[in-house]
Amino acid sequence: MSDAKPRVIVVEDEPQIRRFVSDALRREGCTPIQAGTAQQGLDEVVAGKTDLVVLDLGLPDMSGIEFIRDLRTWSRVPILILSARSGEQDKIAALDTGADDYLAKPFGVGELLARVRALLRRHREDDDASPHHRFGDVEADLSRRIVSRAGQELHLTQIEYRLLAVMLANSSKVLTHRHLMQEVWGPGHGEQAHYLRIYVARLRQKLESDPTQPQHILTETGVGYRFQP
Amino acid sequence: MNPRYPLSAALCILTTLVAFPLRAWLDVANIVMLFLLTVFVTAVWLGRGPSVMAAFLCVALFDFFFVPPHLSLAVADAQYLVTFAVMLAVGLITSHLAARLSERTEQAQARERETRVLYELARDLGGALTVDQVAQITQGFLAGLEMDTTVLVPASAADPAAFHEFGPRHLTDLELSFARSAYERRTVVETDSLAGMGMAIVFLPLTAPTKVRGVLAVAPRTDVIYLVRSRRTLLEAVASLVAIIIERLHYAEAARQGELQFEAEKLRTSILSSLSHDLRTPLTSLVGLADSLARPPLPESAQETAGIIRDQAHAMHHLLSNLLEMARLQSGSISLNREWQPFEEIVGSSTRLLAAILAGRMLEVDVPRNLPLVSFDAVLMERVVCNLLENAVKYSPKGARIRLSAQAGKASLEVAVLNDGPGFPPDRLDQVFEAFVRGEREPAVPGTGLGLAICKAIIEAHDGTIAAENHAGGACVRFTLPLGTPPAMEEEAAP
Repeated sequence: MSDAKPRVIVVEDEPQIRRFVSDALRREGCTPIQAGTAQQGLDEVVAGKTDLVVLDLGLPDMSGIEFIRDLRTWSRVPILILSARSGEQDKIAALDTGADDYLAKPFGVGELLARVRALLRRHREDDDASPHHRFGDVEADLSRRIVSRAGQELHLTQIEYRLLAVMLANSSKVLTHRHLMQEVWGPGHGEQAHYLRIYVARLRQKLESDPTQPQHILTETGVGYRFQP
Repeated sequence: MNPRYPLSAALCILTTLVAFPLRAWLDVANIVMLFLLTVFVTAVWLGRGPSVMAAFLCVALFDFFFVPPHLSLAVADAQYLVTFAVMLAVGLITSHLAARLSERTEQAQARERETRVLYELARDLGGALTVDQVAQITQGFLAGLEMDTTVLVPASAADPAAFHEFGPRHLTDLELSFARSAYERRTVVETDSLAGMGMAIVFLPLTAPTKVRGVLAVAPRTDVIYLVRSRRTLLEAVASLVAIIIERLHYAEAARQGELQFEAEKLRTSILSSLSHDLRTPLTSLVGLADSLARPPLPESAQETAGIIRDQAHAMHHLLSNLLEMARLQSGSISLNREWQPFEEIVGSSTRLLAAILAGRMLEVDVPRNLPLVSFDAVLMERVVCNLLENAVKYSPKGARIRLSAQAGKASLEVAVLNDGPGFPPDRLDQVFEAFVRGEREPAVPGTGLGLAICKAIIEAHDGTIAAENHAGGACVRFTLPLGTPPAMEEEAAP
């Protein structure tokens, strides 16, 4: 991990929002760089090593989706979406195109920083991924395919294990239903979303202390799931 | 008198005049041939009656002038009786055959005429743009056949017994009752009792491919009642033509309405979405900027103020969301994004969303593990549960118990949210789901009174039911969702 301040590009056409987001990022110890248009934003990502992009979906010069598609052709930098639309379809499209997380407007500074921290941490950990995961009283060792809870080894079916592995590998990221279906069942299973929901429910029953109020395998209603360590 | 009979007699006499001078050279048997020819020509040319008369007349003339004794009807040789009999038989049979042939020809011609006029009617009706025009064209067509018509179409789908009338005059109640009977029984109704009064006597259902589209009532003009009866096939053809045209008009209209509705819906959606965007943007700045201020460099009281600004902006956003949501739901065409899913997902996501406000209450969740999958729109259902939980918090004292339970009934999932608190005012229990109505008359708790109205709209869009009640020491809202049959699932093979 470098000691340099994380460089965060804030792509947002509304100057007031840009301002408070930048202020909050600065206080958090980041170097915020403001961009009022998508083109400026893309230029700034090219200009230096970037650790995070905060992107408003409703930009005047380019749709957010196009921005993400463009950026994803050559960069894996985390993208946090700011969405003023209530429709879930925009979020899903952005996430499926390659965004990592989203925040619905209006949002508080606390929420923003929590997401930023999680994405920055993930970005750093990407380089040295560990097969060992620990959350709540669960320990997972993906190198030996062993999952245990409170010291007791758990029996997971193949699909349950695969689902957990995908979630662990993408912790803190929002994973759309479609994305998870493809990762776990392979392409061509997009029509059977209830499989995913049933397996998530089973996984929760095995891993969560209260499956009706999960602490780790969280539901992003209408969008997908998020694993939170 | 029919001129064909003298004509036939004249032909027989002419034959006699021609044959008489020839009798010296011609054998009697050949003269018979001339008379037979005459009967045959008469039959073909003049029809059945005249040819029968010609047959008898020819026998008489032949007997009188050519069979000895001449100029007398007496017959000397009995074998001539055979000649007469054959002659008569041949005459009658040929006349019958020839007459039938010409009748058939006439019938074919009549049918051809009918087909042609029907074709012309179809062509004219093809250009009609309204039921009124259809009725006018049909009336114009049948007026040529001495009939008046009225086209009746049901006024509305809700009350098919009431008809819109399109015709030269208003039908009487009696006629309307016959029309209704034809419409309901889908059969032609004929009546004698109205004949001669200028009223409609034949009522034909307009049976189109998909359904009966109305009734065609036909009234005879003046005294040609029998004409109406005899034209029944034609009338039935006209009725089915009119039915098809009316059905076409109906679908054209439905398509146009659908297009209009689609456009209106698109406009509404784009207005709501841009409203939502435009109002959320300044609120986002407000929340964010106030939140940025509410921290140490500022004196504590100013921090508190900033915090209040932030919270108020949040509250405003909440109201705005509710209003927009209500506008969307009330537009009447909610498109549900239904998927089969466990209800407990909604419980988890709702309680997490409301974690901050639920912190001051004692939340009990009672949701069994093995609930069947239910088909619903997750986002809207989360809205329902959130609204109910928020209400439960709003109308209960700090530290009160709030209970969220779900269980599978016979045909539906039953969910209940209850709190320990003052409960709903007993006299307004049935009104709490109306928009802008709130439990208390002068509410001390802020809100728009939209929360429960939104819940009701969403639950009803899911074919569920929702009801409010008071239990001992608090309020309770129960709703149900139909269970249905979840899609099958293949279990994975054991590892």
